[in-house]
Amino acid sequence: MKNRAALIFGYNDYALEIAKNVTYEYENVYLYSLNSEQDILRNRSCFEVKSFDLSDKWDDLNENIDIENSIAFCVLEDSAENIFLTISLRSSFVNLNIIALSNNKQTANKLQMAGANKVIPLVQTTAEMISEMLQKPIVKDVFHKILFESGALKIAQVKVNESNCYIGNSVSDIDWSKRYGIVVLAIVNEDMSSEFIYSSKVKHHIVSKDDMYIVVGYETDIKEFEKMTGSTCD
Amino acid sequence: MNFFTRWVVDFAYFLNTSEAYQHKKRFVYDILENDKYQYKRYFDIFMITLIFLSVAILIAEVKSEMNIYLKILNVYIISFIFFIEYLLRFWISSSVSEIIINKSEHATALGREFYLYRALINAMKTKLIFVFSFKAIIDLLAILPFFHELRLLRLFVLFRVFKLFRYTKSFQTFTSVLSTKKFEFFILLMFSSIVIFVSSVLIYVMEAHNPKSPINTLFDAVYWSVVTIATVGYGDIVPVTMEGRTVAIFVIIAGVSLLAFTTSIVVSAFTEKLDEIREIKTIDNIRKLKHFYLICGYQNVAQEVVKKLKDSKISIIVLDEDIHRIENAKKDGLIAVNYDPGDIESYKKLGIDINVQVKSILCLRESDIENVYTTLTVRSISKDVNIISLLMDDANRNKLKFAGANEILYPKGIVGMISKELIGRPVAFEVIHALRNDYYGVDVEEILVDDRMSQNILYVSELNNSKFRVILLGIYKKDTKRFFFNPLESTLLESGDYLLAIGNSAFMREFEKHLHKKIRK
Repeated sequence: MKNRAALIFGYNDYALEIAKNVTYEYENVYLYSLNSEQDILRNRSCFEVKSFDLSDKWDDLNENIDIENSIAFCVLEDSAENIFLTISLRSSFVNLNIIALSNNKQTANKLQMAGANKVIPLVQTTAEMISEMLQKPIVKDVFHKILFESGALKIAQVKVNESNCYIGNSVSDIDWSKRYGIVVLAIVNEDMSSEFIYSSKVKHHIVSKDDMYIVVGYETDIKEFEKMTGSTCD
Repeated sequence: MNFFTRWVVDFAYFLNTSEAYQHKKRFVYDILENDKYQYKRYFDIFMITLIFLSVAILIAEVKSEMNIYLKILNVYIISFIFFIEYLLRFWISSSVSEIIINKSEHATALGREFYLYRALINAMKTKLIFVFSFKAIIDLLAILPFFHELRLLRLFVLFRVFKLFRYTKSFQTFTSVLSTKKFEFFILLMFSSIVIFVSSVLIYVMEAHNPKSPINTLFDAVYWSVVTIATVGYGDIVPVTMEGRTVAIFVIIAGVSLLAFTTSIVVSAFTEKLDEIREIKTIDNIRKLKHFYLICGYQNVAQEVVKKLKDSKISIIVLDEDIHRIENAKKDGLIAVNYDPGDIESYKKLGIDINVQVKSILCLRESDIENVYTTLTVRSISKDVNIISLLMDDANRNKLKFAGANEILYPKGIVGMISKELIGRPVAFEVIHALRNDYYGVDVEEILVDDRMSQNILYVSELNNSKFRVILLGIYKKDTKRFFFNPLESTLLESGDYLLAIGNSAFMREFEKHLHKKIRK
């Protein structure tokens, strides 16, 4: 039977941090190393370290991993090797969700061209956080808590199903925050194009089936809202 | 020790320990000599204005009768101000009381008798060093026009122009640069003196006996030599004999080479000192800044941070001990100084007030050792300044905290947290990311509720944010440091609160204007 797994390519601090953070979602977390013999010996984490090389045909993955429901993280320290790995995985697995780490903008573009679904631009992200700390410390604090910490305030993706009583109503006519105690940040249409709630486009948007609402609120309020809309993605 | 000596020593101790006296002396020193003192600039500007006014009056006086008030201003008032300034400079040039105390303590420690006159001679010597210094002589000469009755002394007004050396830094820089080439200038002076002397004597001997020659006296000969060697050549005095013209050829050649030599000395002096001059200028500019972010270490993250902060109204200063990184910072249009951020001397040399001028210090070296060291150095200077530091290895987090960093950023941890979000709530993550980075023209703003706003808008219901299609995410209460999400309409707004609002950038600006303009009826 094929496993649903998080495949992390590269054995380094980034890989270990990712592994720690994805275990709640993926039962199987595998770390793949280019220097497996050395890394297996020094591995003190609870994650299994496997070997791979860049010329791999990925037969092992094909046989044992449920590729469509798995996720791959490419975090090799050498940018060229990371790009090569991404392109190699994409060429073998069209449906694999690949997240890659880049150190600069140039590499980020190349990783995207190589087929990564999402690129984490490490330096830019760190710089963004620092500049936010300096310019908008409260925004940084609030969003950091909402996104990364297990506080009372949550963010959720809520999908509208066919039984929703607001279907057919104009978004601007409904005061979500008063009724449900939540703040709707954005609406994602069926075609996955997201629009912020304050955009003029959304003002005329009619609530329809399969709309996805990105909402912020307290856990109980979000649950109430989910009950009303019918389902949740989170 | 006789009664008088004891009384003088006691008085010296009194002056040395008197807070009021020392405070006044310190103030006078700051205003006259301390370049770091913020009000010195205004004093300098005032004195420069007096100098130019004085010279302007002198020029105007040449061809027309001067207004009596202007005369009084020039001769008495300005001179009196300069006189007071001279006395104050004389006062602060050294401390007589300190010399007396030192001598007295020295004598007591060695068990010798204390002689007051020796201490006073010593004090007088230090005062005389000031009196005979170049700048003090200029100061004294600038006061002389006070004796207006001696018409010749009126020309001493021009000495006031030399006082500009005191007040303008560029003059001081110019003279300090040239003074590095003292030896070369001395050689030049000797060479030109010899050439002038020899050529003057020669031309006098060759030409003076010729009735057609305009050179009749030795002064004519010296004048001709100086004019020729300086390559000016007015042509009012020219040699007429063959011998005299032969001398002229040599003097002309000597003049050209002398000019080339002088130019090369000046140019080389400035080239050698250029970096130093630029550094002095940079530090001077930094001292003038009211607020700035201080980035310690200009590597990858720092470069990106600078890009993000480029629209900020607050300046950015970079400190790095690596010259290549400093050059990169300068290429990126930043004020950068090649000082070690981990060295306490660097901050002393900069002469900045960290508590007042520095908004935040960013330790952005990609080495925990360097960041810990810099954090510790800065913390030893200021307990209050906000320090944000990069952390490369989580094992060093406690060390950075212990060193005194207020905020620590661990990029590897950030990657882990982002990965968690990307697999859990990818769309929500993207939405927040877009919001924070002002994509699609949508902005999140922290709006400060100031005194005026809190008086005119009492409750959340009076904000009218929905009219501007702005969403109020919450209120941050500064006093309790708590964030109130989606506040009730009856929530009271207090001065110092922050509104966290989300909306289209253009609408947001309108909303902010509305908040500031609104007046309670």
